[in-house]
Amino acid sequence: MKPDHYERNHALAAEYVLGTLSGGARRRFETWMLESPRVRRQVWYWERRFQPLNGAIAERRPPPVVWRRIHARVRRPGAAASARWWPIGSVLAASLLVALVMLWPSPPVSQQFVGVVQNSQAEPLWVLRTLTDDGRRRLSLQGVNVEAVDGKDFELWLLPRSGAAISVGLLPAGGGQRTASLSERQLEVLRRSRALAVSLEPAGGSPTGQPTGPVLYQVRMVTL
Amino acid sequence: MSERLSEMVKLMAYTSRGDLASFERLYSVTSPRLYGLCLRMLGNRDEAQDVLQEIYIKVWHHAGEYHPERGSPVTWMISIGRYACLDVLRQRRGHQDVDDLKEWLRSDGVEPQQAALASADKESLDRCLRELSDPHRASIQMAYFHGLTHGQMARTLGKPLGTVKSWVRRGLDFLRRCLER
Repeated sequence: MKPDHYERNHALAAEYVLGTLSGGARRRFETWMLESPRVRRQVWYWERRFQPLNGAIAERRPPPVVWRRIHARVRRPGAAASARWWPIGSVLAASLLVALVMLWPSPPVSQQFVGVVQNSQAEPLWVLRTLTDDGRRRLSLQGVNVEAVDGKDFELWLLPRSGAAISVGLLPAGGGQRTASLSERQLEVLRRSRALAVSLEPAGGSPTGQPTGPVLYQVRMVTL
Repeated sequence: MSERLSEMVKLMAYTSRGDLASFERLYSVTSPRLYGLCLRMLGNRDEAQDVLQEIYIKVWHHAGEYHPERGSPVTWMISIGRYACLDVLRQRRGHQDVDDLKEWLRSDGVEPQQAALASADKESLDRCLRELSDPHRASIQMAYFHGLTHGQMARTLGKPLGTVKSWVRRGLDFLRRCLER
């Protein structure tokens, strides 16, 4: 099944919004949503279409304790700042693009991150997501349709709020997939800044441990 | 843009810049709808409050990602809320209590309509839902309001799974064609 099948996706989008699309099919569809602006729009279409039904929901004022808990969580130092885009500095030489990321509701307990690196035509290049299924700290790097550059590699960097970029590793070209292990420190940086960048480096990656080629893309991860 | 909608969009914009007072106002205006939604879908006060909390944490962090294609800010927040509730329901792995639903089906299977100003969207959806056959309409409403899976609906209604799947699929297909007329 191809993710760009318009009619099929309209039917799937309707069942996604309704909630009857479940299990593996729901997860696959969510990946397509991340990859395709058109699929996201189909979902938004159904969200808007069903909106009048929400008028039938009886309003109930929640107890004050709920706001107190929310307030305590958003007041934490850095809680607001983590929602802001990483400031794009002059160090970024080439055209930058912040990925359009789908807000993807999730079970409230485990915190996962996801982001899509896109080119200037809003086409997805890589889908990044943290994997926490087996307790290890890993980042899945899924190429979508990335054209390889002769003699060069794409390298992924974590951008701390302050200080030097930290290499995560090389990104796969084409539709390849690889998984990078994250150290405790790398995961902490990711949690705090959520910002990553992609640079074009000599084959095998940066020889200096810092980006040497042009920084092509930037992406901000969101909580999944 | 109505005054209320314009106020909501402003609150979202200020929230996205980290303005806590606007966020609190947004919570105060919208949380009764969202809490009502969670209570209805989850049928459990503790879970509903936990999910409500998570919804607003998401809103706080992602308010900047709201845009008009998602509908009004409330529509956007309700979508976040519905998906969060669906996740909780799916984690229960089929332990959904269907007694309330049987009661609901006995009553007449029609959702109460809010005495709100009838918008063009609401009129179209009402008209199209009315044109649907009873089983098609009931299956769509059961899934939307109560988060039931195909399997749970099949068990509740005592119908084969394939029949219920086809009701939902055909019902949605009809709705789309009808709404675009």
